[in-house]
Amino acid sequence: MSFHLAPKADLERGITTLGGRRLVFHCHHYNVFLQRTIEDALQERAPGLLVAAGMEASRSMLQGLENDARSGSAADALRRAADTFAAQGFGRMDVSGLGVGGGLATLDHSHYAVGWVSRWGKRPTPGCYFVAGFLAGAVAVAYRLAPERVTSRETECVAAGDERCSFRVEVW
Amino acid sequence: MAIDERVIVETVAGMGLAGNEEGLIPAFGLYLTNHYADFYNRISFGVLGALIRENPELTEDAIALLTEAAHVCAFHTFGGIMESVEWDALVQPMIESREDWVHGMIAVVNAFGWGRFRVAQLLPGERLVVELRDSYESCGYLESYPQADGPRCYLANGGLAGLMNLVYQGDITRRPALTEDLYREVFSHPRSFRSREHLCAAKGDSHCEFVVERMQG
Repeated sequence: MSFHLAPKADLERGITTLGGRRLVFHCHHYNVFLQRTIEDALQERAPGLLVAAGMEASRSMLQGLENDARSGSAADALRRAADTFAAQGFGRMDVSGLGVGGGLATLDHSHYAVGWVSRWGKRPTPGCYFVAGFLAGAVAVAYRLAPERVTSRETECVAAGDERCSFRVEVW
Repeated sequence: MAIDERVIVETVAGMGLAGNEEGLIPAFGLYLTNHYADFYNRISFGVLGALIRENPELTEDAIALLTEAAHVCAFHTFGGIMESVEWDALVQPMIESREDWVHGMIAVVNAFGWGRFRVAQLLPGERLVVELRDSYESCGYLESYPQADGPRCYLANGGLAGLMNLVYQGDITRRPALTEDLYREVFSHPRSFRSREHLCAAKGDSHCEFVVERMQG
């Protein structure tokens, strides 16, 4: 059973939305090139921008999705977030280790890791910043937490040579 | 012109581009994402703001970084699409001229959620003028920033230059391998195309408009 809700397309205006927020198709070349551009430009400040942007963009979309779905269950909201994430092409994640206190999530085929490796090979540090932000946003929405209480970081990454991508979500 | 934009838009939108069992979208020889416009806008305008705030004299260089990302996007995304089996099945049968490659690609992009593009003028090999309404960049900008003092659709701007470069400089009709060497050759050519967004909704215009022309060499 998929918890994914389909996006709404207005073909006359060239607009697609989910949870009231706009979706746009882009490929891995652009995604990882833009990320690398930002990492090169901002150096050690880049992860902060990339994760925060991922969290806020995801949180606003997922909150809209929950308003549409009208489901009261946090577990359903997390499943819906994971199914939506997979339907959007970011990879299929295991969120069974997440709860109200945070926890661990894993991803075998992250779009960002696969895209990075296919374009440039391995990198020295984890690189799925958007995914880390998405998970923080998903936990905040599912458990109705203020966003500043949730942090997330990637501890293992396929792009850095690990077997899978792993993320530690913490709730303060 | 034989390109039927409505058929292309409806067919691409109806392809059901969604993650497979691995949660990836392999299509057109690429891995696609149906990503969040808010994310692109936050990171693009965020990095631009940070760089310009610290080094105002480097404004043009900072914009050039985002333009370069857009050129890469166009080269690989548009190039990958125009060499794909999906293009061969849907668009190629409608093509009667080189200009139809431009019109066909614009039609495909109109199914990608970027807004609605319309070709206002296409002078073969020389000039392209495109109108864009509901651009995700200008709309997103106005949600988070006051009215801009200049154009803000960096992806669309660089993307349109990339499209003209693919069709008239890199001759995508011959299906060249989309290598880094070809990218450099095409985009570094002294007569390659560059785009200028002279109308932008982010600075108060009714819509966005781009003029793509060859550099003077």
